[in-house]
Amino acid sequence: MKKIWIGAGVAFALTLVGCGGSSNETAKTDTPAATTPAGGAGGDAVPDEANGATVTGKVAFDGAQPKMATIDMSDKPVCVKAHTTPVKSEEVIVNGNHTLKNAFVWVKSGLPDKTWKIPASSVELDQTGCMYSPHVIGVMAGQNIEIKNSDPTNHNIHPAATVNADFNQSQSPGAPAIMKSYPRQEVMIPVKCNVHPWMRAYIGVVSHPFFAVTGDDGTFTIKGLPPGTYTIEMVHEKYGKQEQQVTVGAKDSKTVDFSVKS
Amino acid sequence: MSDQEKDPVVHSSLSKPLFIWSALLVLSLVWGLYDEMYGIRPWKGYEARFEKLYGRYLKQAKLPEGELERQIKSSAEYQRLTREMNAAAAEAAPAAKAIDEKVNVIVPQILALNDPFQEVRSHIGSLTYQIEVTRSESGKNSLRKQIEELKQETRKIQLPGWAEAKEMKFDDMNVLLLQMKAQKADLLQQRVEIMKKTTEISKQRDEYLTDRIPGASTETLTSVQNSLDKFDIQIRQIHIKDVDLVDRCESCHLGTREPVQLTAASMGGEQVFASHPNKELLKIHDPDKFGCTPCHGGNGVALSSVTKAHGYNKYWLWPLHHKENIEAGCQQCHVKEIVTEMAPTLNAGREIFRLRGCMGCHRYDGFDREADEMSSTTQQIHQLDQQKAEWIRQAGFDEQKANNPRTSDADAKKLFQESNDLKVRSTGIDAKIEQLDMRSRSLVREVKKVGPSLKEVRMKLKKEWIPVWLKDPHNWREGTKMPTFRLDDYEIQAIAAFIWQSGVTGQLAQQKPGDPVKGKEAFETRGCMACHSMGEGAQKQGGTFAANLSREGEKANYDYIVRWVHNPRQRTEPYCAYEKKDLTAEDYSKHNLPFVFDLEHTKCPNDGHELQVQQMTPMPSLRLTEDEARDIASYLMTKKHDNATYQDAGYMDDPNLKNKGLALVRFYGCAGCHEISGLEDEQRIGTELTKEGSKPIERLDFALLGHQAEEEGWETHKGFFEHKLADPAVYDQGKEKAKQDRLKMPNFNFSKPDIDAVTTFLEGSVDSTMPARYFYAPADQRQDIIEGWWVVRKYNCMGCHRVHVGQTTVFDTMARYQDPDWLEQKPPTLIGEGARVNPEWLMGFLNNPALSETDTDRDGVRRYLHARMPTFSFSDGEIRKLVRFFQALSSQAAPFIAQQVDPLTDQERTMARQLFTSEGAPCLKCHMTGDPKHDAKATAPNFTVAKDRLQPGWTKRWILDPAMMAPGTAMPSGLFKRDGDRWVFAGPTPASFNGYTKDQADLLVRYMFQFTPEELNRLRSSAGAGAGKP
Repeated sequence: MKKIWIGAGVAFALTLVGCGGSSNETAKTDTPAATTPAGGAGGDAVPDEANGATVTGKVAFDGAQPKMATIDMSDKPVCVKAHTTPVKSEEVIVNGNHTLKNAFVWVKSGLPDKTWKIPASSVELDQTGCMYSPHVIGVMAGQNIEIKNSDPTNHNIHPAATVNADFNQSQSPGAPAIMKSYPRQEVMIPVKCNVHPWMRAYIGVVSHPFFAVTGDDGTFTIKGLPPGTYTIEMVHEKYGKQEQQVTVGAKDSKTVDFSVKS
Repeated sequence: MSDQEKDPVVHSSLSKPLFIWSALLVLSLVWGLYDEMYGIRPWKGYEARFEKLYGRYLKQAKLPEGELERQIKSSAEYQRLTREMNAAAAEAAPAAKAIDEKVNVIVPQILALNDPFQEVRSHIGSLTYQIEVTRSESGKNSLRKQIEELKQETRKIQLPGWAEAKEMKFDDMNVLLLQMKAQKADLLQQRVEIMKKTTEISKQRDEYLTDRIPGASTETLTSVQNSLDKFDIQIRQIHIKDVDLVDRCESCHLGTREPVQLTAASMGGEQVFASHPNKELLKIHDPDKFGCTPCHGGNGVALSSVTKAHGYNKYWLWPLHHKENIEAGCQQCHVKEIVTEMAPTLNAGREIFRLRGCMGCHRYDGFDREADEMSSTTQQIHQLDQQKAEWIRQAGFDEQKANNPRTSDADAKKLFQESNDLKVRSTGIDAKIEQLDMRSRSLVREVKKVGPSLKEVRMKLKKEWIPVWLKDPHNWREGTKMPTFRLDDYEIQAIAAFIWQSGVTGQLAQQKPGDPVKGKEAFETRGCMACHSMGEGAQKQGGTFAANLSREGEKANYDYIVRWVHNPRQRTEPYCAYEKKDLTAEDYSKHNLPFVFDLEHTKCPNDGHELQVQQMTPMPSLRLTEDEARDIASYLMTKKHDNATYQDAGYMDDPNLKNKGLALVRFYGCAGCHEISGLEDEQRIGTELTKEGSKPIERLDFALLGHQAEEEGWETHKGFFEHKLADPAVYDQGKEKAKQDRLKMPNFNFSKPDIDAVTTFLEGSVDSTMPARYFYAPADQRQDIIEGWWVVRKYNCMGCHRVHVGQTTVFDTMARYQDPDWLEQKPPTLIGEGARVNPEWLMGFLNNPALSETDTDRDGVRRYLHARMPTFSFSDGEIRKLVRFFQALSSQAAPFIAQQVDPLTDQERTMARQLFTSEGAPCLKCHMTGDPKHDAKATAPNFTVAKDRLQPGWTKRWILDPAMMAPGTAMPSGLFKRDGDRWVFAGPTPASFNGYTKDQADLLVRYMFQFTPEELNRLRSSAGAGAGKP
């Protein structure tokens, strides 16, 4: 009996000591190790044109071509000389088939979380006759824009990016092309030349390859979309933005038409 | 039962009590030990945990950094540098080896020779000392002889590498030793030369690595790890002797000064171990010199519990500042500033205190000092005038007495003398008054009121609007500066009646209507919105410095608004502080003077003292034409709610209400913010707040809320301020008080961030016990920065301009200015202004931003901007402060000495002109030249006058990389490229440049700074000629 008590006492004391020793330890779990940074060269996902869906459509224009202001180049004789007829603003161009040119159409949301491969080819933006050509371009984030100066005069290229880094670079006649790329998605970045303030272009920078610009027939085609539901957005410098939802399956062909009123 | 069985020794066991007692003993021992080790030393636990967590973090941190480092190390460039370094090392190796071998021979020889040499030398040294202390000449001589003998004595020296020992005298040894040392130094120098290339490449390689790793490199981590290995559990304290400050905060806050930036997340969620978030701040306030508690509060010595250490108990006077008020600590030493770098909350608090009119009722050292100075100046002038009158009267009496024939000759002489002395002394008073008048002439420009003048209400306002406004200004205009007073209807009527009846009456020119469409455009682009906002709710755009004008049309009189927009400083009647009255046309006609008063006509026709000729508003003149003023006023008159109706307020003309109203206006301290007839000299009605943060807590009147505050833990300065600011009547709760005894402070509708900011400011407003060296009172240029900020804030320069890095302007927030064409319409940044412009030019520009006396409807520099630099009518003192402020911010030496540029040769002048006008160079396409036809389309300042305005050094830096100084500027970068050690134009250059070897950017700068009118003509004619060519 005695022994039991003493034994219990010792055990009790030991337990206490044990508790005292461990009570100071705080139970904290390891935080997971930081993930390794992603490589900067883009991913390897490419649109699957064979099995993917295709979205086509047009941007219809309801009304007559609005009267565009004539650009006054009179104080820059070199620019005047480059044109035989007075140049009109390219803000709104209505095609013969009552469609709108230079509308930027892109998949705004709905894509699977993938990192898409950046095309190795660059997109050209030329300065010719003191105008930008083309007026609207689309590139993938990270893709090169090749800015050329085909004029015998000095230009400066000054895109007003808001979520990308800003630059304003002088380009002399005959100077080599300037290569620039934007790492972040931004729709749209207006571009201007301070020397020739009428010059205006727009760059749509998208983090994936699903975008298009309407041309002389006012249509667009986006190929290789994986099955899913997407928000397609049309952006125009004068007529603003419009959105439409579309759901596509594999190898589907869907039409998404936009319509703009003058 | 046997006896044995009854024997308690045999039967009763003590083991139970023994066990209990021994258990208790063990327990108390354990408890004692625990308490000794950890209970009263909780910091030990913190230290142990820190060591563990930090070690774990370092291990983790190394991984990703290590990966990145491996990537960089395997990059081509790094590999190339490594190869080059190895090649250079290999190349240098034989020579280096040869040197090393020689050095390896010499070094042991030097060491071996040194011993016998030092032995003799010290012997000689001691003998020399003996010579010095020996008195007799014979003794000295004998010692000298001994030294000579010692020197002649030869010793057998065997050096390593020598075949045999040599006999050497002391001098021989000395010579040899010096020789060998020189040889060694020479060899080592040679070695450095040989290895130079290797060392340089190695440095390059290291830089290549450190430039590419954003965080701490593996090396830093390793060195931190090493010091962590030696981590001791001990009290860590800062002791600053002269203040007797002991701060042991770092015994728990162990990560504070770690070279690796620790966050709570990286330390297992324990905020206590996070590093100080602002290393820059710690650099300026080195904890070893400043401690922790002087800034943060808390009880630095206490270690026994968190509550005690943080000073959160009733008896500790300086509790730790809460996170939202952490910048309160800045205020106690930076008490002279309105803007303190890196303290945005505190700055916001000070700005609210100034802008919302707290300073109208509460005195605070340094705030609204112009008003104080103004009243003291007027008072001094009065006293001096009295003194003078007394002296002149006395002089008259003296003369009278002296002229009395009964006065003796001697007395008469004395009296005449006395009278003359008094007259002479009174002329000294004239000089003093003249000085004070000059000062008040400046003060008239400097003194501002928070609210508009109420003298003008009859001309400016619709009568019926006044009571509606008084009832609840915030309801009528959300976010207005005017606070809501707790007035009953009778009080409102009385105050309205007083204000209406005390207003001055005057003639306003009848204005024809303007064009509201043009007015809208002008309002949105001229710069009005840098201070004023327009639109309500989510539609609101513009600045918060001045009123929101969305309902201006409901309250204002058109003719008055035209006058106001055209020149907001124009008064209906000037005020004479000396006579304490508003002067009327009658006062002027009495003296046959026209009723003209402005900044050129400031003297009172009655007494010659300075008049208040301006409205006390910071609103400047935009130098608009009258037509444009009418357009803007017309636009503002269209801004109203459609359904707004106002009740008739005929009682406002009741003379009986006027006196009651006067008493109320005085009672509520309206004159603290408004200019009111008859109340120009009113004193502030509130408590002084300069030291409010250190007022003993028992003197803060929590009234009936004391117990609740104690229970809820806000019986502190912070709690008192926060509750008072949120509801100024809060301490009247439950009190039985007559209306006139209730708390007067009106409700400012402060938001939570506003309350935090003002609380921070007040909490830091303490009677500091810190010694003088802690206070920020620099004697150098930084003082100019402190002074300048007051002026910058007063006139809201930051509404339009970026004055310091990281700041945004109102223009940055406005929708219109997001368009690329409008982006360039923003007013220029003033970061680096001191280095950019010539201070003398700046002085002239601030005085007259049109840079012309006659052609004022323009901007002196940037005529292409729609926004216009207004005329602020600064006083000379304010201009001086602003110029010095910009100079000091850019570390410009004072006084200013213009930089000299090298003279141009005729050849160079021609070259520069050709480049400027060539098609490849864009300069003249944007920059103004002063030719009206060209300038009509120009979008950049006139560079032909650059030499008066700019500094050459800045100009060169600007043309090389403008985006570096002003990101987003219209001026393109890349105009010049590097060619060896000079800059050359990036585009095609005229033929004359062939063979020109000097810096081409320099050439253009030198051309600009040696520009003459003749050159301007030449430039224009060649630009005209060039324009025709492709």
